[in-house]
Amino acid sequence: MSATAAATGESSLKSWLLLAPLLVFLAAFFVVPLAQVVVMSVTEPEFGFGHYAEIVTDGFHLRVLMETFVTALVVSLCCLLLGFPLAYAMAAAPASLAAAMMVVVTMSFWTSFLVRTYAWMVLLGNRGPIAQFAEWLGFAAPELLFTRFSSTIAMTHILLPYMVLSLYGVLKRIEPALPRSAASLGATPAAVIRHVVLPLAAPGIANGLTLVFVLCLGFYVTPILLGSPREQMVAGVIGQQVEEFLAFGEASAMAVVLLASTLIVLGLYHRRFGLDRLWG
Amino acid sequence: MAERGFTRRSALVLGGGIMAGLATPNFRRVRAAEVLHVNTWGGVWERAAIKNLFEPFTRETGIEIRPVSPVSFAKLAQQVRSGAYEFDVTTLGAGEIIRANQANLVEKLDNTDLAKSPPFPGAVFQNGASSHAFATVIAYQKAKYPNGGPQNWADFWDLQRFPGSRCMQRYASRILPIALAADGVPADKLYPMDINRAFRSLDKIKPAVRVWWTQGQQSQQLLRDGEIDCIALWHARTLELIDQGQPVEIVWNQAEIERAYWVVARGTPNKDNALRFLEAALRPERLAGFCRDSLNGPLNPAAFNHLSPAEAARMPTAPAYKDKVFEQDILNFGGDVNAVTQRFERWIGT
Repeated sequence: MSATAAATGESSLKSWLLLAPLLVFLAAFFVVPLAQVVVMSVTEPEFGFGHYAEIVTDGFHLRVLMETFVTALVVSLCCLLLGFPLAYAMAAAPASLAAAMMVVVTMSFWTSFLVRTYAWMVLLGNRGPIAQFAEWLGFAAPELLFTRFSSTIAMTHILLPYMVLSLYGVLKRIEPALPRSAASLGATPAAVIRHVVLPLAAPGIANGLTLVFVLCLGFYVTPILLGSPREQMVAGVIGQQVEEFLAFGEASAMAVVLLASTLIVLGLYHRRFGLDRLWG
Repeated sequence: MAERGFTRRSALVLGGGIMAGLATPNFRRVRAAEVLHVNTWGGVWERAAIKNLFEPFTRETGIEIRPVSPVSFAKLAQQVRSGAYEFDVTTLGAGEIIRANQANLVEKLDNTDLAKSPPFPGAVFQNGASSHAFATVIAYQKAKYPNGGPQNWADFWDLQRFPGSRCMQRYASRILPIALAADGVPADKLYPMDINRAFRSLDKIKPAVRVWWTQGQQSQQLLRDGEIDCIALWHARTLELIDQGQPVEIVWNQAEIERAYWVVARGTPNKDNALRFLEAALRPERLAGFCRDSLNGPLNPAAFNHLSPAEAARMPTAPAYKDKVFEQDILNFGGDVNAVTQRFERWIGT
């Protein structure tokens, strides 16, 4: 064995030692409880795959899952539509303005999402500014709260920073000469975006969509506080199973299904782009 | 080597001695001044309990009471299973006390003075000491109904005469009896419930229910913000809003009463002191003070001797409301409570 190989071996041992506390922590507080959830889903109250069979067959759970996925998809697309122009402007802006815009985006990122949820309750409420504006214009105050609209808009707002940050990362790296030369060759601004910027930004778009989609799948408080009672997201149903019925088996099975769906989405992303790029 | 071993050992002995010396008096002090841990709902409820129930008990017996919150039925089950007690005494609602007895989570009261010579009829129920009650009442925005809002549950269901948004608690065992009352079932015929009829009645009001509240705070906020015109909520929350000057009306007619019981966690080492607390908590004067401050209604009728008529008028168990209100009867529910709750949750989601 050469000296260098021994040295690398030693340094990799050292780095494993440095990692050990984190790995032990993750194993004790993440892997083990997660494994317990999986075990509970087939052992509570008795051994069997009954909970999974119920989820697939009883209609209710599949509908909740469907609704969760549709909501997550809608929220991801809304984030993309709102986030792309913002990220594009940030990437094109002079450094000081870009920094100011970045502060605004990250400020909303750092504010507790519970606070942001309650802020939407105030904004969309019967006596909120939107209702008052509608009345001032002579319309009846629209009922905005407790609808699919209110929960979607709040979740979009909460998740928007993830989209903006992942788009900003790729847009900033686009060589400024490329769009410029396309324009000088006669491409309209729309054609520049479509044929030059969008293809180059594709990895960032995929990143943003995946992040927002996966995070949105697990949303709990926002849909409960703002959404319509008729639309239920998986996380809310899981919470209810635990708190109200002490039905740990059924809740665990739902949680495992949710986890599996998330892993499938991440797996698809990994095959196409590589997971290591997800955080930019 | 021997010398070093000796030093090390002596250091250990010395350290151990100091530890023991530090620990023992403390340990003895806790034992000498006995402590009872009582589970409370926090906030106003806890302050009312400390002032009217805990402090008089400590003055009389020398037993210190430490409040523990929040209230958690799951924790009661957990601590009986694990043998580590965070609280010795807690309160349970009617539905929970039946579940607690089925799961054998509370101490039996059979041979206690409370059961042998009850201070009032019904003082002991399912191994719980009947303490106080709250009610689910109708409340509405005065501005929305200037000529008076719904006066009973049938009115609450009547969207033609009383148009406007509705809100109710997401809690099947409280809402189903109300749905039957709205459908014209007389108060003494509510139980055992005709579950299917209750759901058919609920179908009629469902489109007007914009939101089903889950937290007491939330129900209050919805009314305060003017988000909801007409709501079924707890009487104490409504009184708080009225006391704050909100333009809200409370309807005592057809208030749905639910009792709360003090219970002793099964197997607690402080069982004897816990039982003494249960007996003391039902005494008329203390209970009257507790109910006055926590906005509950006493179940011991003698407590009303210590309350003014104005104070009694804020309590769902007041004699004046006796013929207007109705009570829950979970023992005679008319179906499996869990299955009905599941059905209710799915009904809401469709």
